[in-house]
Amino acid sequence: MASIDISNIRKSYGIHPVLHGIDLEIKDGEFVVLVGPSGCGKSTLLRMIAGLEAVTDGEIRIAGKRVNDLAPKDRDIAMVFQSYALYPHMSVAKNMSYSLRLRKTAKEKIASVVASAAGKLGLDPLMERRPKALSGGQRQRVAMGRAIVREPKAFLFDEPLSNLDARLREQMRAEIKKLHQDLGATSIYVTHDQIEAMTLADRIVAMHGGIIQQVGSPLELYDNPANLFVAGFIGSPGMNFFEGRYMASGETANFALTGGMALPLGGTANLADGSRATLGIRPEHVALGAEGLDVLKATVDLVEPTGFGIIVHLKLGPVAFKAFTLDRRFLGMHGEVNVRLPVGNLHFFDEAGRKV
Amino acid sequence: MDSLAARSGSRRDQRPLKKRLADASAPYLYSAPALILIVTVMLVPLVLGISYAFRDIQLLNPFSGGFIGLDHFKTLSQDQNFYRALKNTLWWTGWSVLLQFIFGLILALLLDKPFYGRAIVQALVFLPWAVPSFLAGLNWAWLFNPVVGPIPHWLFALGLMSEPSNILSDPHLSMWGPIIANVWWGIPFFAITLLAALQAIPRDLYEAASIDGAGPVQRFLSITLPFLAPTIAITVLLRTVWISNFADLIIVMTNGGPADRSQIVASYIFTQAFKRLDFGYASAIALVLLVLLITYSMLIVILRQWLLSKD
Ligand SMILES: Nc1ncnc2c1ncn2[C@@H]1O[C@H](COP(=O)(O)OP(=O)(O)O)[C@@H](O)[C@H]1O
Ligand SMILES: [Mg+2]
Repeated sequence: MASIDISNIRKSYGIHPVLHGIDLEIKDGEFVVLVGPSGCGKSTLLRMIAGLEAVTDGEIRIAGKRVNDLAPKDRDIAMVFQSYALYPHMSVAKNMSYSLRLRKTAKEKIASVVASAAGKLGLDPLMERRPKALSGGQRQRVAMGRAIVREPKAFLFDEPLSNLDARLREQMRAEIKKLHQDLGATSIYVTHDQIEAMTLADRIVAMHGGIIQQVGSPLELYDNPANLFVAGFIGSPGMNFFEGRYMASGETANFALTGGMALPLGGTANLADGSRATLGIRPEHVALGAEGLDVLKATVDLVEPTGFGIIVHLKLGPVAFKAFTLDRRFLGMHGEVNVRLPVGNLHFFDEAGRKV
Repeated sequence: MDSLAARSGSRRDQRPLKKRLADASAPYLYSAPALILIVTVMLVPLVLGISYAFRDIQLLNPFSGGFIGLDHFKTLSQDQNFYRALKNTLWWTGWSVLLQFIFGLILALLLDKPFYGRAIVQALVFLPWAVPSFLAGLNWAWLFNPVVGPIPHWLFALGLMSEPSNILSDPHLSMWGPIIANVWWGIPFFAITLLAALQAIPRDLYEAASIDGAGPVQRFLSITLPFLAPTIAITVLLRTVWISNFADLIIVMTNGGPADRSQIVASYIFTQAFKRLDFGYASAIALVLLVLLITYSMLIVILRQWLLSKD
């Protein structure tokens, strides 16, 4: 196990830049999730750490040692691929022991390590099968087994669960987390699925367009997103955004929505009077059926029951937004409804999209 | 119900014999044209050819053509030239296939790596395959000829030859001329098929292996080779049958000479048929070659079945 330090990493394919200076320090034993939309450069960053892509500029250190020019086999890391990349002509046991056999580990040691990994992952009855005779979930386990037998310095995962169905994904997610609790190995996990990121990570690294947007614990990113991108990316259903203008008036302020309505804000925000801004609020913070002077009248567009709760699609004038509630009274709702946007739950973003 | 069954039964009885015959033979009549075509095109020549082996057929002798039983085979069993041709066939086929395969594999591995101008190089590499075999034979015959070709002079300059002579007229070396030409001509076949197989190997397997700690040689042995194995098996098998029957280059370059030293069975058949005009004897040799190749193919098929069942 080891720490991984990434400083000012850049990557270009030809003249086409993909990563624009990534800085990240991963502590020994930490579980870090790189999350972001498809094409933002997560895999590229992970593959550079693995040694599968050349580093254009910057430095990668594993356990304090610079590895930029080290071949993948000399970096002592293990990787789980999205496609699993199992060796099709080898049995499960051979797949798992391949790295140990290459290192000329003693036969008895290999047998015991592989058996214990197989036990951990529930692979015992499958050891003599070929990968093509396994289900998706079993292949995924074999890929994990292949990684853990080596006790590497770090584990790298590139969207390891995206080829599984929803139920299996949930189950494997929990197993990966448990495995990390048992082994305590430094792990970097790439995903585009924010739920995976939220549930697995000690720390989330949100990426967009080859730039780190925010680094923090899952709840930090959820409660206190640094910018519009993170606010919109984390959370499902996603945060509601209202464009408008911030209007200060002494001790209080209004938010003039584009479209005419004005939201009275209880206090003031750190914005210049009259400046354009975006207001954000998570659907579960929208209070439906509220009473009082500061309520707004919204029209119900659509009601989506998820079983667990209800997603209500609303309109405030021309502006669409969503509310999430556990209260089943709202299931049959239509027409107009009173909503309140509690001031304490509002997020403001300036014109550049930064949180204020 | 009863009456219905009786009625349908009586109706079947009432169907005229002619109609029943026509109905029964309809499928055969429909497929007859295709069957007749296949039989005439494939079987008749085969049977005729085989029948020649048991007849005395000499083009220059109008009185030949009679059935002579196994006489040709008796002669054949004592024909030293035939045994030498048989040995030469093994030599010719073995070295040609082996060298074509090795160079083809190396070429395929080189072409599998991306580099600038790869598309053009790929096209050029496959060029020899498009050259007609007779042209290739002529070309190489000239290259080996000290009067017009450079190769003997190069070999002499390198000290590999005591004087610039033609290896095609050297009884001990003449076989190597056509083998070299054949290797040149046949490399693209292996390169094309092996390259296609190489490109079908998922790249992430190599990545997984290199992370697992495998160097280039280990990756080749534990990923590339297992993936290529089926293609290697099938192409080597195909080429073995093909090359052992392939007399064009030998006919053009050495004509089996000097003194039948570079004769393989296929070229010996050609010589018997078209030089000595003894079609009967040529057919008898061809029949022996056919039996040998069928035996070889059967062995391979059995081997394949065994390997598949073991898997
Ligand atoms: N081998 C490559 N050659 C050129 N461009 C590439 C290559 N690999 C990835 N890219 C580009 O780099 C960007 C980031 O890719 P990637 O890291 O795979 O994204 P992610 O994993 O976040 O979905 C994409 O725009 C992709 O098109
Ligand atoms: Mg990716």
